[in-house]
Amino acid sequence: MLALVFALSSGIIGGLLVAALPAARTRLRNMVVLFFTGSGMICSWLVARQVWAGERLRFAGQLGGLTFCLDPDPLGIVFGLIAATLWFFTVVYSLGYMAGKAHQRTYYAFLLVAFSATLGVAFSGNLVALYLFYELLTLTTYPLVIQERSPEAMQAGTKYLLYNLAGAAVLLLAIVLTAAWGGRLDFVGGPILAAGLKTGLNWLLFLFTVGFGVKAALLPLHRWLPAAMVAPTPVSALLHAVAVVYAGVYGLLRVVYSVFGTTLLGELGFAALIPWVAAGTVLVGIIVATQQDILKRRLAYQTISHLSYILLGAFTLHPWGLAGAVLQMIGYAVLKTAFFFCAGIIAEQTGVTRVSQMGGVGRSLPKTMVAFAVVTLGMIGMLPLGTFWGKFYLMKGSVAGGKWPLALVLIGSGIINAVCFIPVVVRAFRDENKRLSITERGVRVTLMLVPTMLLVVVGLGMGLFPGMVWPAVQAVVDWFF
Amino acid sequence: MMLAILPMVPLIGACFLCSKRGRAINGPLTISTLLLILGGFGLVRVFAGQPITFRLPLPGPYGPTFYADALSVLFVLLAVFLWLVVALYAPEYMKREGGAGRFALWTLLTLSAVLGVFLAGDLLTLLLCFELMTIASFFWVIQRGDREAIGAGYYYLFFSIVGGLFLALGIVLLSVATGGLPTFGNSPVTPLYPTMFAWSVACLLIGFGIKAGMVPLHLWLPRAHAVAPTPASALLSGLLIKVGAYGLIRVGAFAGWGQTLGDGIRWLGPVLAFLGVGTMLVGVGAALLQSEAKRLLAYHSVSQMGYILLGLGIGLELGTAGELGLLGAIYHLFNHALFKAALFLGVGVIYLHTRETNLYKLGGLWRRFPVTAFLMLLAVLGITGAPGLNGYASKTLLHHALSQAVATGIPWARWVEPLFFLVGVGTAASFTKLYYLIFLGKPTPVKTTTVRSTRLHLAMVLLSIVMVGSGLAPALFPKVAAVPAAHGLGMAQAATVLGGLAFWNFADVSGMFLTLILGAIVCGAGLKWGVFHWQAPRWLTLEGLVKLFIKGASAIGRKGVAFYRLVGAAVGSWGRRLSSCLYRAFTRFDQSRNATIGRIRLVGLSADAAILMLMLTLVIACSVLNSLVRMF
Repeated sequence: MLALVFALSSGIIGGLLVAALPAARTRLRNMVVLFFTGSGMICSWLVARQVWAGERLRFAGQLGGLTFCLDPDPLGIVFGLIAATLWFFTVVYSLGYMAGKAHQRTYYAFLLVAFSATLGVAFSGNLVALYLFYELLTLTTYPLVIQERSPEAMQAGTKYLLYNLAGAAVLLLAIVLTAAWGGRLDFVGGPILAAGLKTGLNWLLFLFTVGFGVKAALLPLHRWLPAAMVAPTPVSALLHAVAVVYAGVYGLLRVVYSVFGTTLLGELGFAALIPWVAAGTVLVGIIVATQQDILKRRLAYQTISHLSYILLGAFTLHPWGLAGAVLQMIGYAVLKTAFFFCAGIIAEQTGVTRVSQMGGVGRSLPKTMVAFAVVTLGMIGMLPLGTFWGKFYLMKGSVAGGKWPLALVLIGSGIINAVCFIPVVVRAFRDENKRLSITERGVRVTLMLVPTMLLVVVGLGMGLFPGMVWPAVQAVVDWFF
Repeated sequence: MMLAILPMVPLIGACFLCSKRGRAINGPLTISTLLLILGGFGLVRVFAGQPITFRLPLPGPYGPTFYADALSVLFVLLAVFLWLVVALYAPEYMKREGGAGRFALWTLLTLSAVLGVFLAGDLLTLLLCFELMTIASFFWVIQRGDREAIGAGYYYLFFSIVGGLFLALGIVLLSVATGGLPTFGNSPVTPLYPTMFAWSVACLLIGFGIKAGMVPLHLWLPRAHAVAPTPASALLSGLLIKVGAYGLIRVGAFAGWGQTLGDGIRWLGPVLAFLGVGTMLVGVGAALLQSEAKRLLAYHSVSQMGYILLGLGIGLELGTAGELGLLGAIYHLFNHALFKAALFLGVGVIYLHTRETNLYKLGGLWRRFPVTAFLMLLAVLGITGAPGLNGYASKTLLHHALSQAVATGIPWARWVEPLFFLVGVGTAASFTKLYYLIFLGKPTPVKTTTVRSTRLHLAMVLLSIVMVGSGLAPALFPKVAAVPAAHGLGMAQAATVLGGLAFWNFADVSGMFLTLILGAIVCGAGLKWGVFHWQAPRWLTLEGLVKLFIKGASAIGRKGVAFYRLVGAAVGSWGRRLSSCLYRAFTRFDQSRNATIGRIRLVGLSADAAILMLMLTLVIACSVLNSLVRMF
């Protein structure tokens, strides 16, 4: 219980401390940021251990007649651990990346508060808490999107806010309807809308899908995500490839398994449609990615595509599909963060931000490009990397759930991923004679490179030994099936 | 335990190599020798019929399983032998080419992965090693680093990745269809869902077929094999494409060797045979038209893989009587590895001296390179199937299998038989061309450099000894190695069938001689009239078709993106216009002192009051309506 409170509050406390510190005290601020992120991570792991041991950590309060409760279950734990662990990596990377840049205090303060908001989404025990933290996450990450303060960044920030707030408004409507029809909002104790009451449920599911789909970047609602790539790279890596977008995906997983339940969803017409929307997003996202020249935008569209892998798995309504979704969540988060980190290092060290300028990067930055190449293989879903297992179980789930064309979609997506990123790698290594001038060296680069390499190693380890994360996956599947 | 350690040995060697940059070039030789000894003594007992299994006891969904039966060990020994040969050959060759250290590193890594593939005990472990093999061998293909090499590397990598993805899909389907992933060795499986099982077999067929160079999935092969450094080509053609065939044999084991195939997969035998025949024809046809020695050899790899696929197809189709097909396929796999490696190495020797692989620029070299010429002659006779060399033995086995299929009354087999003969003639013709243009013919003035070729020749001699030995005692290899392998796969009658077969009968020997003579005639005629310079129009070649298709698809894709942008922009501008309209209307409404609702003009009334009044009216109207409805 104490661990839960600490995990949640460490971000906010740290954020406030950072905001209170004078802007010039860089070293002290860095220590504070590292300490609070680290303690948040450790507390999250403690929470996870307790939850896996079978304890219930319920923390509830009244909020104007509404019950507001934190009650992590295995699914929330998975999301929470992904976020907390990667947050630490990102903070270390940020120490390198942000050094010498403007508005650092704002950056770290909001990064820490957003940490709390993300953990809140992960550990929330009912829809009220989920909604509050979900909104808080949008608001606290807005300053991070407009970090550069350029007109482009401001415009992207506005877009970000508009899309996400509109989504949240729809979500609020859906939650109110759920409360009215289901009578409760807690996740514990089986699906909220268990039985009876068939009319209007399709619309409710539609509202939920739109509400969470904005953050999950489901196809027509995805446009904020590529725009938000003006943010600094660590923000793009963590928030727009993992934490914020996973909040949407996590919400949809909740909707599937805690609000509706698989039996009820199996009878809804709209639920049968969503996997196909997700499949469309998978394909269109990655096809659009192949057309992008700016590396970060290419990665952003790929994010859109890969997020829908998870939704696709969740909506197969099969245990294997869920296992695949969870495995994909973990494996993809690790590798995609590393992918963005690589892009950031390349941009910082050589100034290259476009695919067409990549020639010679491989010779100049061999370590980074090797990491990039390995991650590329992971994005395709090849075996020595963790993402293979996600894909494997997603395919298994879609075949076993009777939706075999989805497996073909996943294969096709893998092929297009290869088309999209392998030429980048080859181009980077090709021009032997061209050497780029490297502007940055020293501690800054080490701080960026070490987390990247560690993440790649974790990805490789997950591929060779999926048993590493299997207990968490098993716990989620057992919890819902 | 040893099964897991064996693939690790080259890996450790590779680490060594990394730590001692560029100095330990002889590492591959030492290590593959070590492996040979280890593998030879440790694993030979499986030929007695006792397979070894080992499972790494890892928690979670996947623990690597290793399995060695006669088939695996046969391939392992073949791999190690070829590596030994190449390790003898490569240092001298790569010294001239450059990048010897890199080459040795990737060679060791590939060896490690290949051993892993052959010793894998389930499809997932096999897939893991398969992907590692793809990645490691990709660096062979791009070793030269020029435009052509990178282009070929793309082809190689993309086809292999697609193959790997199809394998993954096949594994998924298989595990769902059988309710748990079957391991090798306790075959055949009894599927819960036969249709899904059939689809999984189809996916695995595509996946392994790409690696095996099966038409129409062979496009990568001639490019990649031609552009890699020659020792790598020898291994690529000699061994790495055999991985595909090995996988197909294992897949066949799931379907069931030596028994009538189940309901859903009765198509497997004929399909494999058809694909095999297609592969044979396309390979040999394209090979005849090549002017570049390594490309010619690469197309022949395609063609010879066709023989193997045909053998497997016949073996599956004949079911309980299919021993000859399987034995022939295994035997041909073994033989092809030997003579194709020898051919590549021989061409490599010539290339090292003359820096030339274009056949039409070479000629009359037998005087200057008598040893190479003699060793190449053996290899050429081997691949064309001349009696007394190993190719004859396996082709005879395959031919007997085909005759048996005809005798059993399988309708398509009758059509295959003349094609089999035709491909034999084509093979003979193209190798006559190769040999004639390089070693005989008019001497052309090519500059030669002096290279110490003792080690190069030693490597080829090693191959030749095995080739001649196997050719002179054609029944030895099948009896010692192939029959136990077939036994292990479930063909109990293999030994008896082989015992009743005479390799040296008049019909076969004379048939082979006829093939060779016809081939020589065709070659002579072709060279005289310049038929071999014919180039197929683009739309007729598979590659051209695929390129056209891709061009079309990308054009459609670009149109789609443009359309999407157009729609997006239109929606955006409409939305902006609409919202600004609404905004203006609202502000006008909000700030007006005199609200107008329809025709009614409310002087001095603010908008808020108007809205309130409107809502009030609505509520009253609703309740009145409601009561009215209730009244009636």
